[in-house]
Amino acid sequence: MLAQRIRTPPWFFTSIGAAIAAQIALTAVALSWSVGGSGIAALSTWTIAAFAAGVAVLLAVAGVQLAAFRQLNGVWVGGLLSRVVLGTGALASGAYIVALGAAIWSAIDAQWWLVATSSVIGGAAYALAGRRWFNAYRDEPARHARRESVVMLGLAVVAALVGLGLLLIYR
Amino acid sequence: MAELDPHVIAPARLKLMVTLTAVSEVEFGTVRDALEVSDSVLSKHLASLEDVDYVKRRKGVHRGRRTTWISLTPDGRRALDAHIDALHALIDGVTTPR
Repeated sequence: MLAQRIRTPPWFFTSIGAAIAAQIALTAVALSWSVGGSGIAALSTWTIAAFAAGVAVLLAVAGVQLAAFRQLNGVWVGGLLSRVVLGTGALASGAYIVALGAAIWSAIDAQWWLVATSSVIGGAAYALAGRRWFNAYRDEPARHARRESVVMLGLAVVAALVGLGLLLIYR
Repeated sequence: MAELDPHVIAPARLKLMVTLTAVSEVEFGTVRDALEVSDSVLSKHLASLEDVDYVKRRKGVHRGRRTTWISLTPDGRRALDAHIDALHALIDGVTTPR
């Protein structure tokens, strides 16, 4: 079977997890610079730069690893993008939201060791969720190969942004 | 009772369609190696399935070489599901003496 031949490039899940950890930490630090006692103040250039750097790190790592996956296997699997990179599974998205929330909270209170710990735990859980999806995919490829619909992905992004906004407003 | 699909009934085509369900897109040489068929046999089956809009092909690049990328269409997936249902219905209740 084709799915049994499919492998991930070296350090695939680890690098995605590390990129997620970096993105969580940079987002938390960026937002802490712009949050005053009464909520969100004006976003500074540094805040936007740190936020963009987190996203850029994730996009760069994901782009390189997905290209390596395609090169190595000669296949494209939509579920890999949505489940492993975008973290649309329950474990990955849940771990990400909790870790990001904890990291932002810690950064606002200047508890930097907690920011680092939350970020690393979030990244590790994300990587673990990705590995679990890959094992499930190899067992039942037809069931797991496809990505979620674009509508569902859009709703997930909107829900994440609303949650982030509420966290900052009612912290 | 659901009917078997004549476009999918040949074993090689059934294997090809089932293989395509495991991926969103696959490179020609990869699926050829997975199915252990020749280039010409695979091309022939792909052309037949493309004629009924069950698969689609596009030109692309893999490892620096020009190649063809193949994927199952939504119609192809529906046809395969219906064919599998028909197979299940056909053999349902059949027991073989031991």
